[in-house]
Amino acid sequence: MLSFLRRSYLNFSFMNPHYCCLSRNFSAALPPLLPVQLPSRMETHLWYVVPDEVKSAPLLSKYMELLPQYERDHVLGFRGDQLQKSALLARTLVRTTIARYQVDDHLDPRSLRFKRNIHGKPEVEWETKDGFCPPPLQFNISHTSSLVACGVTMNSLIGIDVEEKRRRTKNNILAFAKRYFTAHEVEHLNAIPDSELQQQEFIKLWTLKEAYVKALGKGFSSSPFNTFTIRASSGIAVETLDSPQNLTNNWQFALLELMGSHYVAICLERQETGGAGKALPIKLTARKTIPFVEDELVSGTNAVVTIGGSVTQF
Amino acid sequence: MASITRASVSMPSLSASVNQSQRRISGMNSVSFPVSGRSMIPSLRLQRGLQVCCAAKQETVDKVVAIVKKQLALPADAAVTGESKFAALGADSLDTVEIVMGLEEEFDITVEEESAQSITTVQEAADMIEKLVEK
Repeated sequence: MLSFLRRSYLNFSFMNPHYCCLSRNFSAALPPLLPVQLPSRMETHLWYVVPDEVKSAPLLSKYMELLPQYERDHVLGFRGDQLQKSALLARTLVRTTIARYQVDDHLDPRSLRFKRNIHGKPEVEWETKDGFCPPPLQFNISHTSSLVACGVTMNSLIGIDVEEKRRRTKNNILAFAKRYFTAHEVEHLNAIPDSELQQQEFIKLWTLKEAYVKALGKGFSSSPFNTFTIRASSGIAVETLDSPQNLTNNWQFALLELMGSHYVAICLERQETGGAGKALPIKLTARKTIPFVEDELVSGTNAVVTIGGSVTQF
Repeated sequence: MASITRASVSMPSLSASVNQSQRRISGMNSVSFPVSGRSMIPSLRLQRGLQVCCAAKQETVDKVVAIVKKQLALPADAAVTGESKFAALGADSLDTVEIVMGLEEEFDITVEEESAQSITTVQEAADMIEKLVEK
């Protein structure tokens, strides 16, 4: 069985053979994953991988081994090296991240099962065992070819979306916004004279809207983008068109600039409020990782800059 | 006599449209009904009835392929067919929405969010376009 896998892997052109000198580190079993405590009720954990920093073919092979056959097939269904690699890293990140929390003794990233809710949102399918009460762990993933990210909370529904700051739309921004965003958002974009800034604002708005819909977990058609407005003047809030006077208080947002190159939007279900219904800031812990190789706590450094929403970094 | 003459004059145009329809219905030999001299007419009606369930025209598929290649910056010789999935080609959600917007402009249609969400391949997009264009 293993030799069949090895044979198949050698055909993955996205695994660069030039880095074979690292193979000696991975010929044996992988080192253990650094375990981490589950986030507290008020915390959000953000984990991310930079695909360009993962170059070892044997390491990527090991990641592939963590996946069940249908996920491997899914990864290989992507066209081209870069897409296959980021798809592989996305599956690897979610499996290894959840495994770190050691929810169940000796939880192996390989053994995690996933399912989709009735709207298609991915969830962990915990094993039903006597005396085992699955934790209310929530997660969401997002990836581009240059960044793969996973957000984790306990209890709060979460949606995250990542995008390169320099992402350009093929269509004219205002034409696109008029077609898909709300009037308020079009007005907001229209008022920006500098086209570079306008492009960046558009991307920020896009990621925030995506994060909201992903947090809701009901699929994009249940919340078309032109049925809710993201207001980002002081703090970030969402206003749904069917109750315009009522800023929807159930959701809070964070907008981060990661490594100076990416926007990360996080949308969370609000758990508690401070006195008089005031929102408490999001407590964020951010870690950059190459699973089984290195983990780096980056919150509070200039790798993770809060550019919107109320966030405390730990 | 007059009616026969009329029939024979209009035959060339009928056969032209029959040929077009034949292209849509692959493998169907539809012009072989053994009815008297007016055999073209019953077959054409039959073909029209069948049109609704057939897959999109090749030219629609080709136009969708062109829009997808442009949006995803794929080389002109990239292998993209009806079965190609947008996601597998590298389309993220922003790309998919832009592709739908490009299709709306190209074909002068409006695609509702519900329909847009269900399009995952080039063929599905082409089929949806033809349904909307027919309306």
